Amino acid sequence: MLNSLLSRYTRTLSLVLVLLLVIVLELFEVRTSIYGVSLPFFEWMRQSFWLGVIGTTYGSLYATIEAVHLLSMAVIGGTVLAADLRLLGIIFRDIPSETLTQGTHKCFRISLTVSVATGIFCAAGVADKVYYMEVFWIKMLVLISGSCFVFFFKQPLLNSRPHDEINPWTLRLLAVTSLLIWFTVAATGRWIGFS
Amino acid sequence: MINEWLLQFGQWMEAQQYSQMLVAGYYSYSWLEATHVLSLMMCIGSLFIIDFRMLGLIMPNVPATTIAARLHKPMLIGFGIMFFTGALLVYAKPVETIQSLWFRIKMILLVLAFINAWIFNARMKAADGTWDMDPVAPKPLRVGAIISLVLWCGVVTMGRYIPYDWVDCTNTDNATILWAAGCVEQLRAL
Amino acid sequence: MNKSNKWDDKEIAATGTAVIILGGLILYWLLQMESTLELLELAYGSVKLFNNPLVF
Repeated sequence: MLNSLLSRYTRTLSLVLVLLLVIVLELFEVRTSIYGVSLPFFEWMRQSFWLGVIGTTYGSLYATIEAVHLLSMAVIGGTVLAADLRLLGIIFRDIPSETLTQGTHKCFRISLTVSVATGIFCAAGVADKVYYMEVFWIKMLVLISGSCFVFFFKQPLLNSRPHDEINPWTLRLLAVTSLLIWFTVAATGRWIGFS
Repeated sequence: MINEWLLQFGQWMEAQQYSQMLVAGYYSYSWLEATHVLSLMMCIGSLFIIDFRMLGLIMPNVPATTIAARLHKPMLIGFGIMFFTGALLVYAKPVETIQSLWFRIKMILLVLAFINAWIFNARMKAADGTWDMDPVAPKPLRVGAIISLVLWCGVVTMGRYIPYDWVDCTNTDNATILWAAGCVEQLRAL
Repeated sequence: MNKSNKWDDKEIAATGTAVIILGGLILYWLLQMESTLELLELAYGSVKLFNNPLVF
C-alpha cells in the first residue's frame, strides 16, 4: 500500500518533502547563516582574476558581456512568450501547443545557460556590492526556484501527454507562473543596477 | 552644421520642465529605463525567434511564414514600448545622449535594421509557398536573418555602452571621435 | 499514463509548485508596490510618479 503510493506519487511526495525541509531549515535559521557563510565566496569572485579582476579592469569587455547577458535574456523572453502565450491561447492558436512547448525548450535551455554564465561574470565584477543587496538575493531565489519549476515540474508534465488531456486551468496556471517568474528575474536584475 | 543644430535641439529639450522632472523624480528615470530594457524580451525575443526559424535553428516542423506572421504582433507591440520609452529617455537626458557616440551608432544601426527588415519582408512575400515547410529558408532570407541578428546585437550592445563615459566629450581629444559624437564646443577648443 | 485518473502525480506536483511560486511572486510584487507608494508619499507628501519642481 505504502509502496504503491510512494511509486505513484513520487513527484508530489518529493515536493512535500522539500517544502517540509524548507520550513525546518527556516525554523533553525539556516538560510540566514548561509547568507553569512557565503560572504567569502563573493569576496573570492570579486578578487579572482578570470571573474572580478578582468571585469573591473576592462570596462568595455564588461559592458559587452552585459550586452550578451541582455541578448540572451531577450531570447529567453521570446521563447517563454511564444510557449506560454500559446498555452494561454493568445497567440499561435493554429499550431499545437505541444509543438511550441517542445520546439522552444532547447533554445530556452541554451539561452538560460548563456545568461547564467554571463550573469556570473557580471555579478563577479560587483560582487562586493550585490552581496549586500536584497534585490540580488530575491533574483537568485526566483531564478533557482523558477528553474526547478520549469525543469522538474512544468516541462515533465507538458511532455508527458497531449495537452488536451491536462486540465486547461492547470495549463493556464503553469503559463502565468512561468511568465511572472521570468519577468521577475529580468526586472530584479535590472534593479540591481539601480540600487 | 548638423552637430550645432542637434546640440541646440538638445539644449532646448533640456531646458524644459518635463525633461528635468523625469530625471529628478524618485523612480521615474529608473522605471523608464527598466521598461525600455524589459520590452527587449518581447521585441527582440520575438524577432530572434523568427530569424532562428529562418536559419533552421528552432521549430523546423512549423511553417516559417506562420512563425513570422504570429510573432509579428508581439514584436511590434514590444517595439512600440521600446520606441516610446526610448524617446522619453532621450528627452530626459537630451544633450548627454545626443553627444554620445554610442547613441549615434545605435541610431544608424537601427535605420539599417529597418531597411533590412523591409527588404526581408518584401522577399518573404515574393517567395511564397514552396519553401515554407523546409527546415531552412531560401538563401536570400537566411542572409537577411543573419544581417538582422547582427544588426540587433549591435543595437543592444551600443545601447548598453551609452551609460559608460569612455569616449564622452570631456574624456577624449581625438578630433574624429569628437566630430562623430557631435562635441561642438570641445571640437572648437582643439 | 493512466487516462482515467486525470489528476496524476505530475499534474498535482506541477500545480502545487505553480501555486506556491505564483503566490510568492504576487505577494512580493504587492509588497513592493506598497513600500514604493509609502516611499513616494514620504518623499513628496503625496503619491506622485515624478518630481515636479514647481510643486515640490
